[in-house]
Amino acid sequence: MTESVNPEAQMNEVNPEPQYEVFDDPVSDVGDLSQWQLMRIRFSKNKLAMLGLWGMIVIYIIVFLGEFIAPNWYQYQNGDYIFGPPSKITFIGPDGRFSLRPYVFATTTQLNQETFKFEFTEDRTKKIPVKFFVQGDPVSVLGFKTNLHLFGLEGGQRFYVMGADGLGRDMFARILVGGQISTTVGLIGVAMSIMLGAVLGTASGYFGGIVDDMMQRAIEVLGAFPQIPLWAALASALPPISKDFTVVHRYFLITLVLSVVSWTGLARQLRAKVMSYRNADFTQAALAAGSTDWRIVLTHMIPNGASHIIVIGALSIPGMILGETSLSFLGLGILPPAVSWGALLRDAQQVSVVVQHPWLLIPAAAVLITVLLFSLLGDGLRDAVDPYSI
Amino acid sequence: MINYIFRRIGYMMVTLAIIAVLGYLIVELPPGSYLEFEIARLRQQGGNVSQDQIKALEIRYGLNDPTYVRFFKWITGFVRGDFGESFQYRQEVKDLIGQRLAFTISISVFSLLLAWGIAVPVGVYSATHRNTIPDYIITVIQFLGLSIPSFLVALVLMVVAQRVFGQQVGGLFSDEFQNAPWSFARFIDLLKHLWIPIVVIAFGSTAGLSRIMRANLLDVLGMQYVQTARSKGLKENKVIWKHAVKNAMHPLIMILGGSLPGIISGETVVAIVMNIPTVGPMYFNAQLNQDLYLAATFLMFLSILGVLGNLLADIALAWVDPRIRFE
Amino acid sequence: MNQSSESTTKSVFEGEDTIIKVRDLHTYFYTDLGISRALNGVNLEIPRGKVMGVVGESGCGKSVTALSIMRMVAKPGKIVQGDITFFRKDKKKNDAIEEINLTKLEGMGPEMRSIRGAQMSMIFQEPMTSLNPSYTIGDQIMEAIILHQNVDKVEAERRAVEILDGVGMANPSLIVKRYPHELSGGMRQRAMISLALSCTPAVLFADEPTTALDVTTEAQILDLMRDLQKRIDMSIVFITHNLGVVAQMCDYVTVMYLGRVVEQATIDDTFYNPMHPYTSSLLRSIPHVGSHQKDRLKPIRGVVPDPYSKVKGCPFHPRCDKAMRGLCDVKVPGLTVVGKSHTVRCFLHSDVEEESTYVQ
Repeated sequence: MTESVNPEAQMNEVNPEPQYEVFDDPVSDVGDLSQWQLMRIRFSKNKLAMLGLWGMIVIYIIVFLGEFIAPNWYQYQNGDYIFGPPSKITFIGPDGRFSLRPYVFATTTQLNQETFKFEFTEDRTKKIPVKFFVQGDPVSVLGFKTNLHLFGLEGGQRFYVMGADGLGRDMFARILVGGQISTTVGLIGVAMSIMLGAVLGTASGYFGGIVDDMMQRAIEVLGAFPQIPLWAALASALPPISKDFTVVHRYFLITLVLSVVSWTGLARQLRAKVMSYRNADFTQAALAAGSTDWRIVLTHMIPNGASHIIVIGALSIPGMILGETSLSFLGLGILPPAVSWGALLRDAQQVSVVVQHPWLLIPAAAVLITVLLFSLLGDGLRDAVDPYSI
Repeated sequence: MINYIFRRIGYMMVTLAIIAVLGYLIVELPPGSYLEFEIARLRQQGGNVSQDQIKALEIRYGLNDPTYVRFFKWITGFVRGDFGESFQYRQEVKDLIGQRLAFTISISVFSLLLAWGIAVPVGVYSATHRNTIPDYIITVIQFLGLSIPSFLVALVLMVVAQRVFGQQVGGLFSDEFQNAPWSFARFIDLLKHLWIPIVVIAFGSTAGLSRIMRANLLDVLGMQYVQTARSKGLKENKVIWKHAVKNAMHPLIMILGGSLPGIISGETVVAIVMNIPTVGPMYFNAQLNQDLYLAATFLMFLSILGVLGNLLADIALAWVDPRIRFE
Repeated sequence: MNQSSESTTKSVFEGEDTIIKVRDLHTYFYTDLGISRALNGVNLEIPRGKVMGVVGESGCGKSVTALSIMRMVAKPGKIVQGDITFFRKDKKKNDAIEEINLTKLEGMGPEMRSIRGAQMSMIFQEPMTSLNPSYTIGDQIMEAIILHQNVDKVEAERRAVEILDGVGMANPSLIVKRYPHELSGGMRQRAMISLALSCTPAVLFADEPTTALDVTTEAQILDLMRDLQKRIDMSIVFITHNLGVVAQMCDYVTVMYLGRVVEQATIDDTFYNPMHPYTSSLLRSIPHVGSHQKDRLKPIRGVVPDPYSKVKGCPFHPRCDKAMRGLCDVKVPGLTVVGKSHTVRCFLHSDVEEESTYVQ
């Protein structure tokens, strides 16, 4: 290898007139994409993840326009329709022919003198057309007061897509409005968890030593408590609803309770991440260049860990939603007059009641669908960030 | 190894001490005391509660003492096996919790075993058959399992059983055995009832565990030593089970300890729905009614279970992973 | 397919006996981002009992070639086209040569598994991760011996100790009881070599076996491999991007670029008479002892295009200083014999066109 023949000379012999030309690069651009662009491509190619994303967007829209979409106000108590079943819908018009417009049968309520239960009989001859944009109960949608509803019956008649509860309130309306709390509890709770977990996890991973030891003990202690009993204990310490302590206060404190218990997982994972970054070459390089701890954490570690924080956060949303559901189901979470899916399911606690009125279980389907969509979303995000991890 | 175990037990004691303080404080945190409930109840019964009576009750329950005195009375008693008296039941806590705790532990442990027994093979299958139709089906079931809280599974199951089969599901004993003394027939009757909550509770954790198993195994299958094993000419089955699965189990064992509190916590809520005489219903009741010593003792025992689970998982991990064993 | 005039046993390397012949091999990886064409018509020959270096930049398909020959390409990768012929010499049958088309065998099937580990084995780049952390060194070596040599555990352990001793491991009888994490990097690579050689294979694929080691250890391992190669009389396919190591180790050199072999030649021809512009560029980009301080190294212009893209014509033409418009960017150059044991694929040397086609 000490001397090398000039290779160009030889080549010219073989082909005396080489043409020196530079061609346009006919290459694909996969290699030129940034990390975030790659993630976006991978995410958008994942059909289940896209289903999760769009499904959640649709659910948020439906839930927040809930009072407008549902034909009845969620607090309206219809004394004539206690535990009323879902209204039967038919597409056969009064003229006996198929029509695109759905009809519902008129119902009459009678109290059975022997069982003291309401009995509902449909008048099969009387069909009432379901119409769009009808006048109904006054509601406020996103702060706007209106009495217009997306669909309903005209002339003050009512119908119940998903039946009514024990006070004759529209389950459909209650599920939509309850979703406002149930779908945001996860987001806000995770946001709080991320703040707690990110700060404590990063500090613990970066500084190590005593800070880390204490953090580890704290995480171990919190992790050793069974989650729901601990939530229950904390939630039962919240004051009852009063003038000074409104449902909104309670809502925020419940999310706080949820995140106090569940930040540990996030902190633990971030700590591991930060520890691996601390030993990474780029951190050593930054240290050697004289960067301060703060600068290293802020400019090197957080951007590197951001995608992971997002993924871990997204993956812990379902747990939060389920936590709220469990707590409210036990009567320790969201309390009336506020509604959430868990609070609605509280009515379904007695099996004997549900057996007779199975539509009381419909909120469970809402929980299931939402959590499923969030899981798909979180899973897709993780696959997009780190395709090899799962 | 022995050193390692002793060090772990040392850590565990510290953790338990902190848990005792924290747990007790949390239980005492809610405003009001049991005495207020009691007085309200006595008043409701039409009696006028005299100042003397209140005094007597206060002294009896030590409610005049500051919190730390009450804590020390309780914790020193706890260590000696005397857990105090339940306000609600007017009974020794010790007599109230024994059987319930035993049921909770057995349901939780059996659920855990069932979850593991299913999750590992399922996880291995879906990792080795990644992106095939069975894998997709398993994934859908896993997501469903992760999306339904176990108490809802229990609820739906009970409603379906009653509506479709006209059968009452729930409780741990049939009526005729409810108060009967222990016998073989009663034991069989117990088993007949016990499997339903076990399956219900295992369902969610099976989904989670098999998902983690799949992820771990996919990770390990990308490792060089798996290629090394293949390059020896081993059968694919041997490559996977001997070389990959063994290493993929390590993180799973690590979370084994962490999953016990989760299972216990699921069990407590399922027990309420299914009317099972375990810790759950009584604990929540005690918590709501400020039955101080009962609630604190339950919370303590549930936490001890969790910590113990962690310890066992750590020892198991050291046993299977030579890298930890020699540290 | 390029079966043409060459007979199956006659090698392009004069005077050598071919042990493995690869024809028009295409291995693709079907990933979420598209099809990655890792191998795009690889043609090469491995001479029996010699050391052949395979060089090229990262991502040119060196490792995938080895894995494809070992039939260890796992999903989402797949061999989509081509033939790999293994000329197996049976010592029991008077050195009779049996021709086995490896692409016809099932990757994890019994025939291929009886070849893998016994006839061919492989050592990997990272000694830290190529041994299973859960089993002792002895267990892992014995596993291969028991699998292929029909001996009991005691005998297998005796042989494992013997092999470890043979690779210059101190205290071999102690080492068999050790776990990988208790050994240093160099010791692990020695253990890995023992594992690979435990059944005296005919071909050893060494995928950058010394890249992760320090220079002294590297030299020791290279000496060891050279020594073992002579002792066992096996072929070594030495994959590396270190031309210095090639000069030290190899008899022949194969140069790969973007999933294709661009040049095969003897070690001398490679260094003193490179024919392909890519080979010459590679040589120009490394420092020489004795070169003037003022002489600047010439890096190769551009980067290897990512394997998701399809480069039309000669794969190297976008980076080639001598590319000819209308030829190099349209047609794929075919195999040209340019000298004794020297083949190249470049239109500078002939206008032979590659007959291979892309498959989707």
